Amino acid sequence: MPAPSNAKMNVSGVSKTFRTRRGDVAALARCDLAIGKGEFVTVVGPSGCGKSTLMMIAAGLEPPTTGDILVDGRPAGPPGPQRSVVFQRFALFPSETVTQNIEFGLRVAGLDRAERASRVDEQLELMGLVQFRHAYPHELSGGMQQRVAIARALVVRPEILLMDEPFGALDAQTRTVLQEEVSRLRRVMNYTVMFITHSVEEAVYLGDRVVVMTSRPGRIKKEIAIPRDAAWRGLEIAEASNYADFIAYKRDIWNLVRAELVRA
Amino acid sequence: MTSGTTTVPRWRVVRDRRAAASFWRREPGPLPRLVIAVGAVAIVLAAWWLATRPDGPIPPLFLPPPGDVAEAFVRLLSRPYLGNTLLQHVGASLSIVLGGWLLAGVVGLPLGIAMGWSQRARWIVFPVFQLLRPVPPLAWIPLAIYWFGIGSPARMFVVFIAAVVPWVMNAIQAVYSIDRLLVQAALTLGASDRQILTRVVCRTALPTLVAGARVALGNAWTTLVAAELIAATAGLGYIALNASRTLETGILLVAMAVIGLLGALFSSGMQLVTRLVAPWARDRATP
Amino acid sequence: MSVPGERLDWRAIGTASQPVAWGAAALGVLLGAWLLATTVTGIVPRNVLPSPVELIARFATLVVEPFSGSTLEGHALASLTRWVIGVGAAIGLGVPIGIVLAWLPPCRAAFTPIFEVLRYIPPFAWVPIAVLWLGASTTTQALIVFIAAFPVCVINTQLGVAHVDRILLFAAQSLGSGPLRMLARVVLPVAAPFVFTGVRIAFSNGWMALVGAELVVGKQGLGFLISQGQANDSVATILVGMVTIGVIGSIIDVVLQRMQRRLLPWQPASAHSGTGRR
Repeated sequence: MPAPSNAKMNVSGVSKTFRTRRGDVAALARCDLAIGKGEFVTVVGPSGCGKSTLMMIAAGLEPPTTGDILVDGRPAGPPGPQRSVVFQRFALFPSETVTQNIEFGLRVAGLDRAERASRVDEQLELMGLVQFRHAYPHELSGGMQQRVAIARALVVRPEILLMDEPFGALDAQTRTVLQEEVSRLRRVMNYTVMFITHSVEEAVYLGDRVVVMTSRPGRIKKEIAIPRDAAWRGLEIAEASNYADFIAYKRDIWNLVRAELVRA
Repeated sequence: MTSGTTTVPRWRVVRDRRAAASFWRREPGPLPRLVIAVGAVAIVLAAWWLATRPDGPIPPLFLPPPGDVAEAFVRLLSRPYLGNTLLQHVGASLSIVLGGWLLAGVVGLPLGIAMGWSQRARWIVFPVFQLLRPVPPLAWIPLAIYWFGIGSPARMFVVFIAAVVPWVMNAIQAVYSIDRLLVQAALTLGASDRQILTRVVCRTALPTLVAGARVALGNAWTTLVAAELIAATAGLGYIALNASRTLETGILLVAMAVIGLLGALFSSGMQLVTRLVAPWARDRATP
Repeated sequence: MSVPGERLDWRAIGTASQPVAWGAAALGVLLGAWLLATTVTGIVPRNVLPSPVELIARFATLVVEPFSGSTLEGHALASLTRWVIGVGAAIGLGVPIGIVLAWLPPCRAAFTPIFEVLRYIPPFAWVPIAVLWLGASTTTQALIVFIAAFPVCVINTQLGVAHVDRILLFAAQSLGSGPLRMLARVVLPVAAPFVFTGVRIAFSNGWMALVGAELVVGKQGLGFLISQGQANDSVATILVGMVTIGVIGSIIDVVLQRMQRRLLPWQPASAHSGTGRR
């Protein structure tokens, strides 16, 4: 666990209370989380525990009630491509083609056409989207759309990538394929990632560190480090499931989450 | 991510954006909203009063001062105008509008349901319907006058034509909107035909039917006003017509206001009905 | 026992030829009855309903000979001009206002009460006061068209912008977009189908209001034509006018629908083709 001082991102004393017509709803109790550079942190917890809220705050899209988000030790400021986001529901701009969607952040940054084109091509190749470059989102399957969303978030070279249950809206098969792809990408490029999920298996498979949250109001219950050089890293999930340590991690973390489910 | 540098220009000032949005993008609370609304209305009224003062730019013929309009309203309430008091005129208008609307419902609802239910009925009736539909109800007025002369039947006819279309179209849509899945589910639970009809069909179709009734009423009202402006001996439109001819702008404005008010009452009334009859459904009527 | 579910098989509509055949047959029967009633048997006297033949003859005459000032095309053109001007103004003013209302809640709070009060006054009810202000001219009628078309433009645009999924705004923000870019490249394209539907309804509402206004005011136009027909006891003229009005209205609507499909190839955000004020 990195010391807070040299972490890439610091969630420091963050809590969130929503004011609704029926009174105040405490979504997040005080949370402290440090994410080191190049670390892949997965966050699991029961439904409604506030993990998505935590991510939205980390992204700057939602203001915290208390606490702060620090990037490289300084307050993070407005949302932007330094902390780009991949949403569960893809959030692709329906009136723009795949290329235009991916290009969006680059246009905001004011890059010239040649630079944009080369970076977009790079992403299209990386995510296997080359033949769909001129398609509209509604013409693509869910898995494809999410690839575009990931490409859009990566093309701006974020300092930290935030992913909010990105595979939650996909069918099981597509989900497995994309999980394995993220794992592969991860080994090639050393992204710093905060990955929210409700799937314990996904959290263990992808994460260097699994953060377990309590039920609402969510707090960080426990953090479990998973060695990057474990034997099953880089294998398909089906194979990894045969390894004793993989199974052990899954079981332990699931027990932690289940205890919270009962309480929820 | 391999290095700490990004290519995003750092010229953008990093502000602490704690507030979710600026004042202009934030939804004001109920109290501020009331204040703004009252303020806006007050400004408009003040401008009206200022502009129509004796030394102001707008002559009373064009737009009388607010005071005159209020006076005209009181006058219409108490003394008969063109043979009837205001309330009697309102009654005359209402009787035709409601009569025409109900008649349109009596004819249109069964027709629409039949068309929604039976393919054959739809194939036969729809083309005829589609041919007649594009002709605006107001365009029927001269024909109605020609056939029925100036009087209530002509106006009721035109109101009927205006109202029947939404009744029918929404009735068709209501039957369409019945999810076959619900009917099958009811069947598997052992429901009889009658139970299916009342509990599944009617319940799911009701909101759209009421929405159709609401649009029909709106159409009926606007068409009636037009009909009265052209061919009437009593009613709100008749008041308006006469007032414009005799250059009594105050009375004209009162008539317009009452017309608008009644239209709004009809609309909210029907929305209330929708909520009572089908509290679970969202309003599906088009503006 | 016949299963009610069986009758609800509208989705299993057969080939296109069958409904067309039935519909054509129905129309044919109607036409035949009309012909019989007016010509052969004479049940319906000429001055109540002319025969189809007479109608067509009248149509031909009107195209060539002026009636009450202009030929059929002359009247139609006059109506169309006012229509386009009125609706154009309504779109030009209504759409930006709708965007502002949806985007800036304080403006909505200020504007809505007055708007709602005025909205319920039917366009036609504005005719007397419009005549008072502007006389009996083309501007008057264009104003009525404007009044009829304006509310729909505002409301539909406002709805369209308000219905843009918040998540798209979040996505744009997370990529560093400022509010202006969000509005132009995310919100407006997504709201466009709604706005376009509003435009279509505006055209249709405007057409209907125009016809009404022309019944009472003016010396040219299709509405004027049919009211003159009534004044001169010429049923055939009335009917020709009505048919022309209906045909023009439908053509424009179909054209607009096609335009919508071509200009907005991406999925419309649940924009229905509303029944409007028909």
